[in-house]
Amino acid sequence: MPHSLSTPDVTTPGGLLLVLAVLVPFVGMLAGMVLGGRGTRRVALAILVAGLAIAIAIADALVRSGAAVVYLLGGWAPPLGVALRADGLAVVMLLAVAVVIGGIGAYARADFGTPPGVREARAPLLFWLLLLAVWGSLNLVFVSGDLFTLYVALELLTFAGVPLVSLGGSPETLRSALRYLLYALFGSVLYLLGAVLLYGAYGTLDILLLATRVHPEPVAWAAAALMTVGLLAKTALFPLHLWLPPAHAGAPAAASAVLSGLVIKGSWFLAVRLWLDVFAGVVTVPSAQTLAALGAAAILVGNIVALRQARLKLLIAYSTVAQIGYLFLMFPLAAGLAAAQLDDAAAVNGGLLQAISHATAKAAMFMAAGLVYTTLGHDRIADLRGVARALPMTLVAFALGGASLIGLPPSGGFLAKWLLVSAAITTAQWWWALVMLVGGLLTSAYVFIVVVRALAPAPEGWTPKASVPCYQQAAVLALALGSFLLGMAVFCPVDVAGIGRAVVPGIGSP
Amino acid sequence: MTTSSLLIAAVGVPFALLLACIAPAIRERMPPLLALAPIPALAAALFADDTPVVLGNARFALSFALDEPGRMLLLVAAILWSAAGAYAATGLRGATHAGGFVVCWLMTLTGCIGVFLAADLVGFYFLLAVLSVGASGLVLQGGTAEALRASAVYLGLALIAEAFLLAGLVLLALATPDGSLLIRDAAAAIPTSPWRDLTLVLLIVGLGMKAGLVPLHFWMPLAYGVAPIPAAAVMSGAVVKASALALIRFLPLDVALPDFGLPLAAIGLFGAFYGVVIGITQSRPKIVLAYSSVSQMGFLVAVIGMGLAAGDAGAGRVASFYAAHHLLVKGALFLVAGVIATTGGRRLWWMLALAAILALGIGGLPLTGGALAKLAVKPVLGDGLVELLATLSAIGTTLLMLHFLHRLLASASPDPSASAPVGWVLSWMFMFVAALVVPWLLYSATGIDAWSDALQPKILWAALWPLLIGAGLALGLWRWGRYLPRVPEGDIVVAGQPALGVIARQGDALERVEGVLRQWPVAGLSLLTLILILGGVMFAGP
Repeated sequence: MPHSLSTPDVTTPGGLLLVLAVLVPFVGMLAGMVLGGRGTRRVALAILVAGLAIAIAIADALVRSGAAVVYLLGGWAPPLGVALRADGLAVVMLLAVAVVIGGIGAYARADFGTPPGVREARAPLLFWLLLLAVWGSLNLVFVSGDLFTLYVALELLTFAGVPLVSLGGSPETLRSALRYLLYALFGSVLYLLGAVLLYGAYGTLDILLLATRVHPEPVAWAAAALMTVGLLAKTALFPLHLWLPPAHAGAPAAASAVLSGLVIKGSWFLAVRLWLDVFAGVVTVPSAQTLAALGAAAILVGNIVALRQARLKLLIAYSTVAQIGYLFLMFPLAAGLAAAQLDDAAAVNGGLLQAISHATAKAAMFMAAGLVYTTLGHDRIADLRGVARALPMTLVAFALGGASLIGLPPSGGFLAKWLLVSAAITTAQWWWALVMLVGGLLTSAYVFIVVVRALAPAPEGWTPKASVPCYQQAAVLALALGSFLLGMAVFCPVDVAGIGRAVVPGIGSP
Repeated sequence: MTTSSLLIAAVGVPFALLLACIAPAIRERMPPLLALAPIPALAAALFADDTPVVLGNARFALSFALDEPGRMLLLVAAILWSAAGAYAATGLRGATHAGGFVVCWLMTLTGCIGVFLAADLVGFYFLLAVLSVGASGLVLQGGTAEALRASAVYLGLALIAEAFLLAGLVLLALATPDGSLLIRDAAAAIPTSPWRDLTLVLLIVGLGMKAGLVPLHFWMPLAYGVAPIPAAAVMSGAVVKASALALIRFLPLDVALPDFGLPLAAIGLFGAFYGVVIGITQSRPKIVLAYSSVSQMGFLVAVIGMGLAAGDAGAGRVASFYAAHHLLVKGALFLVAGVIATTGGRRLWWMLALAAILALGIGGLPLTGGALAKLAVKPVLGDGLVELLATLSAIGTTLLMLHFLHRLLASASPDPSASAPVGWVLSWMFMFVAALVVPWLLYSATGIDAWSDALQPKILWAALWPLLIGAGLALGLWRWGRYLPRVPEGDIVVAGQPALGVIARQGDALERVEGVLRQWPVAGLSLLTLILILGGVMFAGP
């Protein structure tokens, strides 16, 4: 088992940066809470810049050393101590999240400013604190090296995400927040149950050590099934998506962008980590196909239901239900490649790119919907006339984000689709390729409908209800452009995502 | 100027103009530049050699290159884009909201030139997507409810076609040795690919849809009918040729594959006649031209199909010559349709006479480029049944073109003093001259044959007699044409309406099921069931 060789027992150069990546947002959150009022926003915005710099520094350290960045807390190596570990997968996600959070922060500056004449307002204060909390917990999810820290990170993520849903404070949003909380709680319980089973059977929770110890036996299967389904519930993979549409569509635009673009990626990332790095020798190809079958159902149902929505935000929320489906198509492809003793980079990079391109595109689209709502006073799709004239940049951003979801080149969605379709054909699982292509067509239908409705000229004498600041439009456009040009990642001379990922034993091999 | 700078300028200049449209002030001043934007492409077609331009690194690179079919089509496409750009600029003078049109125009132009130059799979797919999105935007510029419908149909079909193509291209990339993404290498690797049949089917279906093969041709009459005149001219002339060029480049024409070539030729020839039959029932000149495009593209695909069936590597050259002629003539005829609709009195007859020369040229009128095109493809079609069908198709085309001229006359302005804007007339005259002269130049320059052979009396007569029969049939059509049934524009698309109703009802049902799944008890149950399923599947083993 090659994994045992790769367990480093030293802190690598740049390891301390991992601690900073996790701590800085939380420190910012505490500082913001102490300062209160307008100080919170100022602190949060400063932290956004600092966090982005840290993420870039980690990426630099990773590419320079060509190996995973590791930090051992207190100098104690696992299984005694706790390790923070950032391989290529984690670093790419760290960077993507820092960028998206930055975009959302720039956008939210206008929506969540404390109104003049008030010393402190509830919604803005909460928003900035929760934004930092979401960020810190996501970073912890990406760099944690053991299953219990990951559990804590997941819980933090959920508890930061739930209040974001009900920032508005209306009974309706409170109900959706509660729905989200309860269902996520079920997910947590299942995950914890699985983790306890693993600890009981193998005596460690460290991911790398566990990977060398687990065997394909009933206890490992039970743990894998429990933990995976728990994570699916938190990711809202169809048919476990009951909480997602009302929560994501009801939250304020910037909060929806955080929830839809980022929060669900935390639990998805953990599922990837488990299946690729911990249970690689335990899970079977058919079980991976079960996940992808759910993903395929999500793509078809989510897209069709999205097509039939009358409100823009609900349409985008259902589009997220569908896009989550794409994220799970990578599992049987990676498994199939590994079983055939081939490099699974195509499938893993495809899934990762899909996640990042969705994060950027969906955040941009939700924020675009928010600007549309502000300008028109509603978000009924049938009545979007005049948007093109009032918000030209925003409409372009929406279209670019849509193009990324459809998978038109040169978007990240296209590159992801290319890689996943290649993997599907190499592993003779062409049906997943078919689902992806059909999903792209359904997506194009609703993007087209929205864009065309928005292009229609406004009635005579119509004026926008409110004007939006230019920088908000620019932030949306920047994120959408990022998603649209993400396919250019193909020009990147090194395979960053593959750095520091040890060769794991193939699925199905003993 | 080196080849690389010529090629980069050809794609880069329209793209830079497109980017410049971000500034509203520049956007509104853009129309006069539309005629100049294709000039670098023209220069590239004339002066660049065949060295490829590579952008990127060892892991991934985009490449552009001019092969012989690409050079021919790029040359004539640049001429058409330039003339149509001048035509559009005249129409846009004084228009307040030209921005949308200009953006879509430049996007389509970038995509069109890019596809003609793209030498790798990914760049080709990217630029084809740019082309489709831009062209559907041009259709939308019609501004009516019909334009919206036509644009949706166009974009929908284009994206479906691209889904087929994407699958085909991924298969191509996987089967190409050494990870090369060059179209040339990919086409050469098809015959030995483990997925040969599937790859060919996906490519042919995807490109066939974009070429307007029957039964997926209905987007053509819908789109060309509503698009503004210059947009219809470039779409029917240049844009649709991208698919023919792609067929020429992707299909391994030097290997005989009759199992694919013959069905392709059969579908193409069927379309060649189908376009004529439906076309003669139409009354709007633009729609008649659109059906003529269905017919001509069908014939062109049939030529490529016969080349594939026989393993005739020379088929690519003559097919692109045929395409180049059609590109020039069809573009010119759309422009004249716009000119004549605003022309009355004596000038009208001049215009009509000139239009008649070009229109009958498609049927093979001796001494026109059309006669050369028919002559060039003759060896590929061979003797026997296909040759007979080709002659019949020339008769049909003549009939359809005379019907077009008849409808064109009927569409002329009733005001005898009406005259089209000078810019329109000049663009059309320019295209008229180009459509007459350029095919002759290409015919000898590309080495298809010498002029002297094309001028033998026997060959002239062989081109003339189908025309005379077609003219006879046209007399019959004028006499008894009113008894023909009225076929709606886009013919079989009407049959799609009930199907949409059925799909909508299925969607209702699906939405209800989704609603049930979101109930608390059901969602809780799903959670538990999923654990059991996932655990069970793992327990069952690999």
